[in-house]
Amino acid sequence: MIFKNAWLVAVSASLMCAVGFAAEPKTTVVADGIDNPSGLAVQQSTGDIFVAAHTGVYRLVLGAKPTLHKEVGDFATDIYGKGPKYNIGPLGVGMLGDDHLIVADGSNPDEKEVVLVMPVGKAAPKAPHTAKDAAFVLGPIKAGKDSAKGEGNYYGVAVGHHAIFITCNGDDTKGWIAKSELKEHKPGELKPFIATKLATNVDAPVGITFSPDSKHLVVSQMGEMNVPNDSLLTTYNPDDGKSIKIWKTGLHDIAGLAYSPKTGKLYVVDFAWVKTSEGGLFELTVEGDKVTATKVLSLDKPTSLTFGKDGHLYITEFGTSKDNKPAGKIIRVDADL
Amino acid sequence: MPRRFGLSFSLYSPRLLSCASLVLMLGGFGYMSFSPISAEDKPPIEKSSIIVFKVPSGLPEIIHPADNPITPEKVALGAQLYFDPRLSSDGKVSCASCHDPAKGWSNGEAVATGVNGLKGGRSAPTVLNTAFQVFQFWDGRMNTLEEQALGPIQNPIEMNMTLPEVVKRLNGIPGYKSQFQKVFKTDVTSEGIGKAIAAFERTVLSGDSPYDRFTAGDAKALSPAAERGRDLFFGAARCSSCHSGPNFTDNAFHNIGIGMHHKEPDHGRYASSKLEGDKGAFKTPTLRDIARSAPYMHDGSLKTLEEVVAHYNKGGFPNEYLDEEIFPLKLTKEQIADLVTFMKEGLSSSKYPDVKPPKLP
Repeated sequence: MIFKNAWLVAVSASLMCAVGFAAEPKTTVVADGIDNPSGLAVQQSTGDIFVAAHTGVYRLVLGAKPTLHKEVGDFATDIYGKGPKYNIGPLGVGMLGDDHLIVADGSNPDEKEVVLVMPVGKAAPKAPHTAKDAAFVLGPIKAGKDSAKGEGNYYGVAVGHHAIFITCNGDDTKGWIAKSELKEHKPGELKPFIATKLATNVDAPVGITFSPDSKHLVVSQMGEMNVPNDSLLTTYNPDDGKSIKIWKTGLHDIAGLAYSPKTGKLYVVDFAWVKTSEGGLFELTVEGDKVTATKVLSLDKPTSLTFGKDGHLYITEFGTSKDNKPAGKIIRVDADL
Repeated sequence: MPRRFGLSFSLYSPRLLSCASLVLMLGGFGYMSFSPISAEDKPPIEKSSIIVFKVPSGLPEIIHPADNPITPEKVALGAQLYFDPRLSSDGKVSCASCHDPAKGWSNGEAVATGVNGLKGGRSAPTVLNTAFQVFQFWDGRMNTLEEQALGPIQNPIEMNMTLPEVVKRLNGIPGYKSQFQKVFKTDVTSEGIGKAIAAFERTVLSGDSPYDRFTAGDAKALSPAAERGRDLFFGAARCSSCHSGPNFTDNAFHNIGIGMHHKEPDHGRYASSKLEGDKGAFKTPTLRDIARSAPYMHDGSLKTLEEVVAHYNKGGFPNEYLDEEIFPLKLTKEQIADLVTFMKEGLSSSKYPDVKPPKLP
């Protein structure tokens, strides 16, 4: 599938602004018309990028004319929000080595939700895989003492040397990050691991990654949807789950975070549920107890980001739908970040 | 241990405040104490001072707006304005009429009663710990206490005044005029009224409860029933989904189904946010000293905490916008009783701010 508007160059209006305003970097839409994309992961051997979206997981093959191919399909649909409402399916993706794709699903009700570990080749399959082809199914985390109604809406994926970490949005009294230990490259049972709500008093762990030195889990707490400026940046010890540091960012709803492999700078995307016009890509600078958020790019409901094999930053955004047509995009930031 | 923090007094305190003068000015606020730091700590040239203001244990520090630093004189002025019915058109309704310290800083009735006996549409929210609120009013239509304080004065069914009217009336009272001159270096202004009342309200704090002492390590601070209730509160009863953090609120808005059975329900937050999903959503209130502020909910429709827990236990009132955290809890009678015990005993402050009306100018 080739996009009609592929390589549509979006030149920021701010380029035309008076001197004194930082110009937004040039961006390129590499794929559009995607239904609510919300997760990205890079296959290092091919440089292809996997994209989680409402209707499934796609493989984005970059090149002169980027193409999108369905890798995993046949998901259910869940609805996020009470208005605006968004159809959601698999929400997050990550790589386990080069040959397994981790799919954090959000398409089912809490307690039935699972994380799939799918074998992947170097190109899209002729017919999309389905959950039946999974090498491992992690979860569900059922209702019980740890989670009153069971876990669901798995979103962020971080893969360490010894474990996979998944952000969950089931029990709001706990705000779990779940963990699956890796033994001989095989993922073990998915268990609630870090109760982020108890650590931070703020809802919804969503974005997750490792610090550049791999020592800390770095997690964004999205906060309440209808409360502005309450999103947090947090760090945890991945071995014992203990909270290390909590920073107020002043941003609304950080949905994803990524470190630049070149510069080590931390970038985040803010969905900004109540003020979507304020959403975008931000650089977070940490100095002691203070975090400064500097806007890099205005975006329309961004949901995730990752640095590609080419070193460029790729971002998913929901966009604004007209005529009920999917309006999601994958945007490449052409500048060096 | 009580948390302490310093407050800058550079604008409004031309002299080092003495303990005696503070105690005098703050007369009735026995729960609150100010004390100056030693003269040695004071910058010798600038005429400023730092005072220390005790915040009850379990509460975070209070952030005072940069343009409205707290001073004892301002708090004293704010208290007078708060209790003064001359701020209303018929001279009978003060802030304290609907936010009465003796009634949990609410009014003990389902809805508020304003001038000429007119009834409001919503319950009077407590003033306790509003210092920590991100939004004011049940629908969060204003952010600061300074803005909020001027709202009811101008509401036709509450105090029914225009700001020019109230400013003119107060400027005719020498005691107010002189205090405004001292505190704000101006005659009475509406901005000053808002700032003084807000500064007073930021001293109305509820903390240092058995729950706080239990959390701090005193294993005997809670009775066995209250301790079981605490475990339910943060666990199976799921209260902490929304009533979280030191002030027992997430400062957000949720639809729990209250009032949604009406033909034309109060849409709450939606009126100002215009987000469809906010229909019927109201601000999560604090639960500190909750035993004192019955009846409950934004419309005062539930008379007791037992009724409140029963509402949640049945999964609220189902409607299109019901928060996803609201679903049947299957709590037993014993669990409901324990939960209520936790809220009644565990969240009651050791020194409730039962502020008495000050002498008015």
